[in-house]
Amino acid sequence: MWKKKEVIPDYITQNVSEDLIKLVDMVKIYDTGSIKVLGLKRVNLTIKRGEFVAIMGQSGSGKSTLMNILGCLDRPTMGHYFLDGIDTADLPSDDLSAIRNRKIGFVFQSFNLISRTSALKNVELPMTYAHISKKAREKRALELLERVGLGTRYEHMPNELSGGQRQRVAIARALANEPPLILADEPTGNLDSASSVEIMELFSKLHNEGATVVLVTHEEDIAAFTNRIIRFRDGSLVSDTPNIPVSKREKEESEEPEEPEEPEEPEYQSGDALC
Amino acid sequence: MLFENMTMAVHAIKANKMRSLLTMLGIIIGIGSVIAIVSIGDTMRFMISDIYKDVGTTLAYVYIWPSDGSDMRQSDYFSVDDIDRIREVYKDEITYIDSSSQQNVEAVFGRNKVKFALEGIGSNYPNVHKINIIYGRNLNEGDIKGRKNHVVLEAEGAKELFGTENAVGKSFRTTIYGDTDDYDVVGVYRKEENPFLAMVNGSSENKEGYLPESILVWPNDTIYNIRLYAKEGTDMNSFSDRFSQYIAKSKNRKREDVTFYSVSSEMGSVDQIMGGLSAAVGGIAAISLLVGGIGIMNIMLVSVTERTREIGIRKALGAKTWDVMVQFLTESAILSAMGGIIGVITGAGLVFLGGTLLGMTVVIKPMVIIIAVGFSALVGVFFGIYPASKAAGKDPIEALRYE
Repeated sequence: MWKKKEVIPDYITQNVSEDLIKLVDMVKIYDTGSIKVLGLKRVNLTIKRGEFVAIMGQSGSGKSTLMNILGCLDRPTMGHYFLDGIDTADLPSDDLSAIRNRKIGFVFQSFNLISRTSALKNVELPMTYAHISKKAREKRALELLERVGLGTRYEHMPNELSGGQRQRVAIARALANEPPLILADEPTGNLDSASSVEIMELFSKLHNEGATVVLVTHEEDIAAFTNRIIRFRDGSLVSDTPNIPVSKREKEESEEPEEPEEPEEPEYQSGDALC
Repeated sequence: MLFENMTMAVHAIKANKMRSLLTMLGIIIGIGSVIAIVSIGDTMRFMISDIYKDVGTTLAYVYIWPSDGSDMRQSDYFSVDDIDRIREVYKDEITYIDSSSQQNVEAVFGRNKVKFALEGIGSNYPNVHKINIIYGRNLNEGDIKGRKNHVVLEAEGAKELFGTENAVGKSFRTTIYGDTDDYDVVGVYRKEENPFLAMVNGSSENKEGYLPESILVWPNDTIYNIRLYAKEGTDMNSFSDRFSQYIAKSKNRKREDVTFYSVSSEMGSVDQIMGGLSAAVGGIAAISLLVGGIGIMNIMLVSVTERTREIGIRKALGAKTWDVMVQFLTESAILSAMGGIIGVITGAGLVFLGGTLLGMTVVIKPMVIIIAVGFSALVGVFFGIYPASKAAGKDPIEALRYE
């Protein structure tokens, strides 16, 4: 009676494209009634699976608008946004919900955990909306909290955790449905520098394990952790450059041998160079 | 998912205990009063049918009462012969008939004086009305035909007068119609106190007892009121018609001048009173449920606004319109149903308390409780539709930005 039959189009559940994100002549105009504001001007952008990308820009540069569109929270006014091969331009909002649920893991600046709800329940949330059984949800949520280093704090409420710990819970939550894309909006904006480094190292680790991470930031030293930096100004893409991540630079300096993912790194580098 | 929504809802309600309780108040009062009045009605009906089980459901009193307001004539009264004639004519339909006579007397034994209401009865009265004899015997045909000064007293009265319940064989002196005489106790019975009757009649100072009706009607032979029991299973309505017609004809009166007062007509009037009362309380309940429902809608709107950000998070994480809708509908349904449950407890509790104080057996039907709680949940769903659709329709970007 309460449960509406779950109808998810096949195209949402099947991974189809090597280009995880593809923006084609994408324009966003805000219509406030009296005036129209141009949010983004003809953006063309491709991000492949497995990349670690920073989107940078001052406030008003259009990076938040881009974030909303990449996150399927908003639709482009003109042009196309293909997420994993799916054109999101004309999808109904419930289909966008399903896409957000299966394809995107969000990490926000202000954590956006649900208050008075345990870390475990917060991590379970996306799986609840994916109609995964309670048992499986709990098992996976515990594994994820373990993975972000909060295995013993699953019962804590958000207000009992530090900022860094809250962001780890949020990252665990973003990973819940194993989405192909992790979308982080100023993830270190509310954190002290030590926690910021920890969180960025966590993103680097996820990337090394194969995840595609796109983060929006205005801090250079945060962007420095990524492999590719895309800059926006006044609604336009102004530069798109490959970057040697800090961790990589350190690794090259110290030549740590016990890092198994290392041989794969050049592959990403070459991928970046193509863009 | 339903279970998830329910735990979430209980969580949210618990987070604002005082607010939730105040919101429920309208529902509590509405459901509480419905439960109370329905249970009072059921209790009354049960008690009345219980009384009638003792008294007999075919009991009727018949008398002449001029419908035009004119004075009664001498011929309107019944005589012993009239009663004998009726008994003969209706011998297939009536199991018992008497003169329905009663006298309040003061019984004297030594220094003790006790007031008794003595009821005159015919010989087979114990067959139609249960008299629970504990010592001695009931009055018999010999006592009545022979106009013997024999009485049967209730145990409490016997104890007060003679100092012992077993007063069989003892006698007291009293005055009836100006004649002072001695009366012998042949039996003692235990009076079955019906708390409902006691409440309706008020407690009487007089003790009760029976004596032959022949003693009470002898001097003037004018009987105002006849009492009869029709055969078990008689349709009292049609019998009332036929019998009243017969009496009207024999007394040269119109049909309307004969009053036939039976238990079933009394039952009808009780139902009428309860029906009126139920309608009045039902109206109050409907209004308070409406007000309660609006209260729930109001608080749900507040809750939706307060939790805008939460809604945004949920939508960003993949909640669909329907998911958010169901979440808030569940919450308002549970809020309202909790009010209903508290209302049931309060209403039933009050009725139970009142029943206990009055010494009555309270009847609370489980079906009434189920319907009440179910209905309150429905009220919650109905008044939750608007806030829930408001929540479900929120734009995730706006909602996430909400501080």
